[in-house]
Amino acid sequence: VSALDLGLRAQAAAIAAGDVDAAELLEASLARIEQRNPTLNAVVETFPERSGEMLESAPDGPLRGVPIVIKDEWPLPWRAQRFGAAELMAPTAPGESGPYRALRDAGAVIVGVGNMHELGAGSTGNVSVYGPCHNPWDTERCPGGSSSGPAASAAARLVAGAVGADGVGSVRFPAAYCGLTGLKPTFGRSTMEGHHAAPVTTTIVSGPLCADAGDCRLLGSVLFGEELAAGDTTGLRIGIVRDAVSEDVTPEVREACGTAIEALRAETGGEVREVSLPDLELSALATILIVNGEVLGVTTAERLNHLHPELSPIARGTLKYRVLTPAAAVAKAGQVRTLMRRRLAALFDEVDVLAWPTVPAPAPPLTEPLVELPSGTLTADQANVRGAGLANLTGTPAISVPVGLGEERLPIALQLQAAWGRDELLLDAAEALERANGRRWVESRPPLAEAEPTEA
Amino acid sequence: LRLRILSFAAPRRAPPARVHDRGQDERSSRVAGAMEGAPADELIPAGLALLGIEADEVDLAVIAAVHGFLWPPILELLALDTSEVEPERCPDLSQAPR
Repeated sequence: VSALDLGLRAQAAAIAAGDVDAAELLEASLARIEQRNPTLNAVVETFPERSGEMLESAPDGPLRGVPIVIKDEWPLPWRAQRFGAAELMAPTAPGESGPYRALRDAGAVIVGVGNMHELGAGSTGNVSVYGPCHNPWDTERCPGGSSSGPAASAAARLVAGAVGADGVGSVRFPAAYCGLTGLKPTFGRSTMEGHHAAPVTTTIVSGPLCADAGDCRLLGSVLFGEELAAGDTTGLRIGIVRDAVSEDVTPEVREACGTAIEALRAETGGEVREVSLPDLELSALATILIVNGEVLGVTTAERLNHLHPELSPIARGTLKYRVLTPAAAVAKAGQVRTLMRRRLAALFDEVDVLAWPTVPAPAPPLTEPLVELPSGTLTADQANVRGAGLANLTGTPAISVPVGLGEERLPIALQLQAAWGRDELLLDAAEALERANGRRWVESRPPLAEAEPTEA
Repeated sequence: LRLRILSFAAPRRAPPARVHDRGQDERSSRVAGAMEGAPADELIPAGLALLGIEADEVDLAVIAAVHGFLWPPILELLALDTSEVEPERCPDLSQAPR
């Protein structure tokens, strides 16, 4: 099969062993983007000359010659990020962002920039200045956001790895919708240099999106600047919460995640414990209020009155609404953060990981991103943030792992969360889960990405 | 209070189709319709005007929809008794709380 259809580790190993020519792999990646991207809109810009220059000067690092897509959230030396929007509300310029430097120093080749949900403000990926990104599993479905393009690129095997960012679930949502593994690192562990919100954010982290946990370990190590060593998951203590995050989900999500949790328990010889984590819904709101508040410093009435005309109606309205947020609510959000951090710290004395579905329903339609849950019809954003905000609010790491395909052949995912700094444990647990299900779900791929019997 | 409702000249102001999903405006209007009669209909335009922020009918429809989602949990948050929560001074989010 084409070397492009190999995973990230396998591509890196094949290049290092001389079995695959990196220049040919780059050519193949660009050709596949040309072939598959028109139906996906996952990659918004390629720059073959720059990619070629990166390859020519690539050091002998762990990703030497491996093509990577990077989210439109990071400046590159030849391109300022657009954040999926006509206007950013923050100054931007081309430059060497942390992820760019990390990839360059690892020998990787940035082959393109990935689409993203406008201003990073959505879990669906259907709103962007570049137009909606499409899910490779069903191009009429949302790919997830805000790292929509990186996820769709990796799922469609345009590349074997992509770099996203996660401020409120933005790596985990698209990983879940696209059937990938996506790691949201502990706050501060992965490089954030050069991000326009880096000076003020307390939630956003860069993170890898790949087919499986081993590939996320490799790309994550590059973004962390340290090796994420494999460890032991024997006797894993898995915490589950009886709350909306695990109960108000579609029957197929509930079943697949329940099966996965039991398989993980059996594989690790561990145990499942029911634990209590009150005020989860408020923690999701607190995350939103904190994230929204952190960018208010650059907001003025003058700027809001002269927004770029191509900014979407949703962005225009929500940017204006943010200034009406009661100060008392933002202060309360900070207290909820403290409360939840303490509760989690106590909880992680009892269990090693917390497990619940990453999203409560598979990818909704692009044209109407609503999900039907036992509690009723919700927007995907409303439903998704409930289970994702906690990790951003508290700084803890989380990972989304594919655990099934639903009736409509759309991916289903389980989220695992661990204590601060235990990112490696999450990767270990994800790998244990892959072993438990025979790697069935990490090796599933959308029909348009079936392996090609060609040489790279 | 002075509220400036900008005239919504569709050919000039409407964003190109590619910047938002199809039916977005229609859905916003639907939700806004459901919010009719709510106190927010008066308070939000007034609040924006007080801050000197202009809002047209599409902005207000979106704001009404977002408000409909966020306001009930905000009220719940404001009602949460956090008097027992000891502040975490200069929290290091990469670590467990001290």
